[in-house]
Amino acid sequence: MTGTAPMIEVAGVTKHFRRKTDLAERLAMRVGLAEEPPTVHALDDVSLQIAEGEVVGLVGESGCGKSTLGRVVAGMLPVTSGQVARDGKDIAKLKGAEARAMRLATQIIFQDPMSSLNPRKKVVDIIGEAPRLHGLVKRSEVRAEVERLMGLVGLDPAMANRYPHQFSGGQRQRIGIARALAVNPDFLICDESIAALDVSIQAQVINLLVRLREELSLTLLFISHDLSVVRYISDRVVIMYLGRVVETAPTDRIFDAARHPYTQALLEEIPRIDRRGHRFSSVKGEIPSPVNPPQGCHFHPRCPFAMDRCRTERPALTQASPGHSVACHLDGGTGRPLSEAGVTTGDIPAID
Amino acid sequence: MSDPLLEVRGLRTWFETPKGTVKAVDGVDLTLERGEILGLVGESGSGKSITGFSLLGLVDPPGRVVEGDIRFLGEDLRSASPRRLRDLRGNRIAMIFQDPMMTLNPVLRIGTQMIETVRAHAKVSKAEARAKARDALCQVGIPHPDERIDAYPHEFSGGMRQRVAIAIALLHKPDLIIADEPTTALDVTIQSQILSEVQTLTREMGMGLIWISHDLGVVGQLANKVAVMYAGRIVERGTVDEVLDTPRHPYTRGLIDSLPMENDRGQPLRQIPGNAPPPLGRPEGCPFRPRCARATEACLSEPAETEAQGRGWRCFHPLEEEAMA
Ligand SMILES: Nc1ncnc2c1ncn2[C@@H]1O[C@H](COP(=O)(O)OP(=O)(O)OP(=O)(O)O)[C@@H](O)[C@H]1O
Ligand SMILES: Nc1ncnc2c1ncn2[C@@H]1O[C@H](COP(=O)(O)OP(=O)(O)O)[C@@H](O)[C@H]1O
Ligand code: SF4
Ligand code: SF4
Ligand SMILES: [Mg+2]
Ligand SMILES: [Mg+2]
Repeated sequence: MTGTAPMIEVAGVTKHFRRKTDLAERLAMRVGLAEEPPTVHALDDVSLQIAEGEVVGLVGESGCGKSTLGRVVAGMLPVTSGQVARDGKDIAKLKGAEARAMRLATQIIFQDPMSSLNPRKKVVDIIGEAPRLHGLVKRSEVRAEVERLMGLVGLDPAMANRYPHQFSGGQRQRIGIARALAVNPDFLICDESIAALDVSIQAQVINLLVRLREELSLTLLFISHDLSVVRYISDRVVIMYLGRVVETAPTDRIFDAARHPYTQALLEEIPRIDRRGHRFSSVKGEIPSPVNPPQGCHFHPRCPFAMDRCRTERPALTQASPGHSVACHLDGGTGRPLSEAGVTTGDIPAID
Repeated sequence: MSDPLLEVRGLRTWFETPKGTVKAVDGVDLTLERGEILGLVGESGSGKSITGFSLLGLVDPPGRVVEGDIRFLGEDLRSASPRRLRDLRGNRIAMIFQDPMMTLNPVLRIGTQMIETVRAHAKVSKAEARAKARDALCQVGIPHPDERIDAYPHEFSGGMRQRVAIAIALLHKPDLIIADEPTTALDVTIQSQILSEVQTLTREMGMGLIWISHDLGVVGQLANKVAVMYAGRIVERGTVDEVLDTPRHPYTRGLIDSLPMENDRGQPLRQIPGNAPPPLGRPEGCPFRPRCARATEACLSEPAETEAQGRGWRCFHPLEEEAMA
């Protein structure tokens, strides 16, 4: 450990996906009858740091690359270019025991607890498998360890011999959390981990994550599209748009003083129970895609403040105040104050 | 007086399992007029989806609608033939499922499936159908529809798949949509766009919408009426203002109190203790009893609905009718 390096440093990471082609398409391409399948630019030069002990909320539109970033950070997906460092070391260069240790130290908890749990295994085996396989506990002590973990996440250890389908959704998510914690990670990536849960159970699982974070000194990357949950749980928020980070700031600043027009539009649309009969606004025209991202600022086709420069020049992530960075050409590259007339997605004009 | 778009009385849908009878839906009443949006909220397992499936005749054995009356524009759907139901599902009533893969075929390109849908409804050329499909993708915010229309479902993110399923439902231009938690995985700007599309359809075309969701924020902004389900029953119903501003049932109140927006950062969220009861282990009397701070001995028997003018609740000790802080 270098001490001064952030726990996670994502530096200029780009990730492209190629659509898989079938044999007929490949033949057609070979004889020039079909074009190459499009490349998806899931991540486009993303840089991000996560300090030890921090809870970072990652927010963005569906398909903008949040899960891809999560899997890249966890070392589950190779990058196209750029690098991810864990405690100052490039994870792509780690070998053998070091690589394994890194993988264990980072765990992902997914959205759907049912599809990520093997239905034919008992809970004791689901939670106990990894620590046994990796020799973290003696075979004879696996059961005691599983019972300890079940207690930690608020499950009755007496239920260790049951199968996943015998648990409720919230309990299954607790099983998923216990399984992740079984290998003693110090970094958890929660990818929409509570999105599928009921409101009353969401509150229980959020409270559990907050408690575990304190008790086990965990660092969290909390991926969610639910801004109200992110606001509650995160120390810092990162906003992504179409494969790029467009704004990052301490949580209070994002909610009180967001400077990127996209963040401001997001804040305007947070569902709130005290607002009734809301006229939802629609984005006219096409939303740009990661297959063919627009030139310049990716948000320009939807941005009510777009200028000529926005259509050609990518705005760099620029510091607006300490800890608060924005990628927008307005106001010397730092976006615009939230206090000026509000933005709604309805203001976002059509493109053709 | 014309018939309501949808009228459901005393619906009971039970599953006969080796371990006993699962009363998934156990006495549900619903009324929906044209142009109305009903938000159906509740814990998972409370019977929301099975209620939706029952209306469409989509309950698979061992499940069965054992009791109740379901009328769509006056037509008795319970005694309708399977063929008639299939016809209605294709043309007048659409369901958007919780899992988009229930709508999408994994081995077909998105475009192929959508073109089939369009051509099932209208005699149009393949090219016209493709143009319609492309526009529908645009409507739900799928970027570069001209390219993405040829993709397979697995090449889309989960949220994009759900948007395609919604686009397919909208292609039917139905009179009634039953949407089962369709935007749960979407971010707020896309959700807002989809809600805007369904709002337009309800306002301008008089479509009726049942929006099943656990997101009270969305329901509050979208719906006219709310029904809160718990353990197979509707435990509270009324207009959005009535239910969300002056909840009378302790469960509804608990749901509202646990929203992150209603809590201070740094304090634990107020949570409803415990879990919903398992379908075969429902407690005697009021099913909310083990989780309820107001429970007394009276709650050992089952509360009937207190009802007046479409506002109702099932509780022996309802909360006072005071505005929430
Ligand atoms: N294996 C793959 N092949 C091709 N494209 C892919 C693949 N995996 C992801 N993509 C594309 O990469 C982009 C980012 O996907 P990602 O899953 O990271 O989105 P996300 O932000 O997590 O979305 P959601 O909120 O819907 O989960 C999307 O356009 C998606 O279609
Ligand atoms: N095929 C089935 N066999 C037995 N029970 C079932 C079946 N399908 C659903 N159920 C039960 O019916 C109840 C209601 O389910 P559902 O309508 O899916 O709940 P919701 O949509 O509110 O989450 C649950 O207790 C569920 O376990
Ligand atoms: S850079 Fe231009 S287009 Fe992009 S957000 Fe700022 S003003 Fe809008
Ligand atoms: S009937 Fe009794 S247990 Fe049920 S919600 Fe009312 S007070 Fe609580
Ligand atoms: Mg994702
Ligand atoms: Mg359901």
